[in-house]
Amino acid sequence: MAEKKIPRIQKCIAVLWPSFLVAVVATGAFFSAFDPRDLLPFDTEIDVSPLGIYTIGFFIFWLITAVSGLGTLYFAVTNCMRQNRGNPEL
Amino acid sequence: MTAPDSKGRSTAGRTDEQVEQSLYAQREKIYPREVHGLFARLRTLGVVGLLGIYYLTPWLRWDGHQAILLDLPARKFHIFSLTLWPQDFIYLAFLLIIAGLTLFFVTALAGRIWCGYACPQTVWTEAFLWIERKVEGDRMRQQKLDAMPMSARKFRIKATKQILWLLFAGWTGFTFVGYFTPIIELGQRLLTFNLGPWETFWVIFYGFATYGNAGFMREQVCKYMCPYARFQSAMFDKDTLIVSYLPERGEPRGSRKRSTDYKSKGLGDCIDCTLCVQVCPTGIDIRDGLQYECIACSACIDACDDVMDKMGYPRGLIAYTTEHAMRGGSSHILRPRVVVYALLLLTIMSIFAYSLSQRSTLGLDVIRDRNRLYRETDEGRIENVYILKIINMDDKGHAFKLRVEGIEDIELFIDTSRIWVDAGEVLELPVRLRVEEDELHERSNKVTFKLDATDDPGLKTHEEARFLGP
Repeated sequence: MAEKKIPRIQKCIAVLWPSFLVAVVATGAFFSAFDPRDLLPFDTEIDVSPLGIYTIGFFIFWLITAVSGLGTLYFAVTNCMRQNRGNPEL
Repeated sequence: MTAPDSKGRSTAGRTDEQVEQSLYAQREKIYPREVHGLFARLRTLGVVGLLGIYYLTPWLRWDGHQAILLDLPARKFHIFSLTLWPQDFIYLAFLLIIAGLTLFFVTALAGRIWCGYACPQTVWTEAFLWIERKVEGDRMRQQKLDAMPMSARKFRIKATKQILWLLFAGWTGFTFVGYFTPIIELGQRLLTFNLGPWETFWVIFYGFATYGNAGFMREQVCKYMCPYARFQSAMFDKDTLIVSYLPERGEPRGSRKRSTDYKSKGLGDCIDCTLCVQVCPTGIDIRDGLQYECIACSACIDACDDVMDKMGYPRGLIAYTTEHAMRGGSSHILRPRVVVYALLLLTIMSIFAYSLSQRSTLGLDVIRDRNRLYRETDEGRIENVYILKIINMDDKGHAFKLRVEGIEDIELFIDTSRIWVDAGEVLELPVRLRVEEDELHERSNKVTFKLDATDDPGLKTHEEARFLGP
């Protein structure tokens, strides 16, 4: 690694941006198979419009994919740190 | 590498404030100089054409409805006379594959022309740059303004720019939502401050993304966030069109008077005016060779051709060329790579067109009654109960005739005398089947429901189901 330290903002985007793209695809695939009206419990008190359910669904997907990306980043960075322990070049 | 001051960035009293800490690296703010010429005109054509398509499409009408409406609440996509249902998701997947392959094909042939002329990032950045130039003036004025301490005048100019940017971004977000909600009603609700919370959210979300990407991130999106920019080189070969400086002709570079016999002084054609650097939206020096930051916008070609004209030198010191052509060879358009991409593309497009033309507008789902496997009637016959879902994806209503086959003397009972499904509707139809027990040779028997439209002999479908016995 050329950079000694990856800026925090860069890490944030590395996690949030690819997960955003995947979440868009996942939301499309999921809601083409499931009607949001079928997802709510039958006698629910919650009144959310379909657009609202799509939105919430999208953010849940984004959260899940972002958590996965965060895990990848965490393992990549910590592995990198471990492998270079004692190595003055890093 | 040339010295920084020869790159034309420090000409207008750059201060430390301009070296802002940006998202990815210490980044110098890039002030792309306005450029005129053939490729700039082509790009303007691309920008105006594509933005026009984006902003006007939701307002088109077709047969009494919005021509393109991706109606999420109703789960129907209207694309002119075509109505796509969730089960048609496969076509969307097809479209994505076709778009991807087209990008590969075009990249192999013509390099990154997508980036330079058609990418939304380029298109909206150009629009934002245009607003910036109208408000703040040209490159020099912008640099001077940014170097000035805050004053009433600077504040006024900056505020005007920001307000125009925000309005434009807001309109972009509004248009985006207009693809999913009927835009005329949406506009009326916007004017009466009556937007729903989710619509408001998406207008702001999309508007904010536009504002951030085109106003601030700009070339950083291409350099650090764009996946295509990272892998496009995989589609490149020595016959791919690239924007390149011809070092044999240009070097050694150096300034000179127009009248000088520069060749006798040992100079090349490059007068080192740095205009090619000043016009570059990603802030690179094309004379350093092919770089991944180059989005092939060819602004440097226009700028350099202009200089060559003024100097009385032939054009094309920076030009669209190929690696083969640069080495004195000839370029080949038909290469295995291009042929393979073309064949793949042709195959997928044919499959897509064929399956779309064969697409049935009638859907039939059979769901077995889950409460009970079978029932014995008073007459000693075996009865199974099903729910049939008849989906009419046509744009007009139809009456249907239902038959069942598969077991001798099977009898069909439905509660209605006439099966009618309106355009775009789903009918749930409870159905009972009865047979004599002797006719059942196994516990589970195959039956086939056959559904025919009474008014259209071409409109029919069938679906298999299991009939269970003792």
